[in-house]
Amino acid sequence: MNEHRRQILQMLADGKISADEAERLISASEESSGSSTETPFAPTKTRAKYLRVQVDTEGERDNDGPTKVNVRVPMQLLRAGVKLAYLIPSATLQKANMAMHEKGIPLDLTQIKPENLEDLVEQLNDLTVDVDQKEAGAKVKVRVFCE
Amino acid sequence: MIPFVAVVSLRNHQSRTFRLWIPLFLVWLLLLPLGILLSPFIFVACLFCRVNPFRGVALTWQILNALTDTRLEVENRSAGMSFHIL
Repeated sequence: MNEHRRQILQMLADGKISADEAERLISASEESSGSSTETPFAPTKTRAKYLRVQVDTEGERDNDGPTKVNVRVPMQLLRAGVKLAYLIPSATLQKANMAMHEKGIPLDLTQIKPENLEDLVEQLNDLTVDVDQKEAGAKVKVRVFCE
Repeated sequence: MIPFVAVVSLRNHQSRTFRLWIPLFLVWLLLLPLGILLSPFIFVACLFCRVNPFRGVALTWQILNALTDTRLEVENRSAGMSFHIL
């Protein structure tokens, strides 16, 4: 066990930090130690296989106690799903463009190429969304990430 | 490969787990003749909508293949449910 991890666990044992904070610090220290050993010319980024969505709720909102939702969607499904956009007829895309322009969204869907959509899914590898919300005595935590 | 089995697990407040294995390959076998019967109509509908029918079929196949390993879990103190496509 390295010194950083030992210190973090000691802080956790002393009650100076919460379990969540400890987890975050350990993952951050692992990332930094991992990146320090990487050579700049050899990226070790692996292709994500799944998109994960985790929702944890705890509090007084319902009487059933904490609720956990865990969704794992294969990235392959997303890749196949975005390809459905190729099937949209151009007349429909024009209609969608007009509707978006009316709403003030200056986006031309006819200009989106299949490669753009695939790039979009590829970029999801680096996506992490963390939402912590506390309202009316209930705590909601949402995490979206790729693994 | 297209998914062959889906597993649905249900847990009640007494921590009793009920697991149901759904043989999806039987569903595909049942849908196959229906798909063949409907293929002319699907073909005409695709042409009417100016969609390449072969591309549509290929994409549907890709989506079916990609469904494998999809997992959904909802856990609560009193109950739980999970759905896993194998």
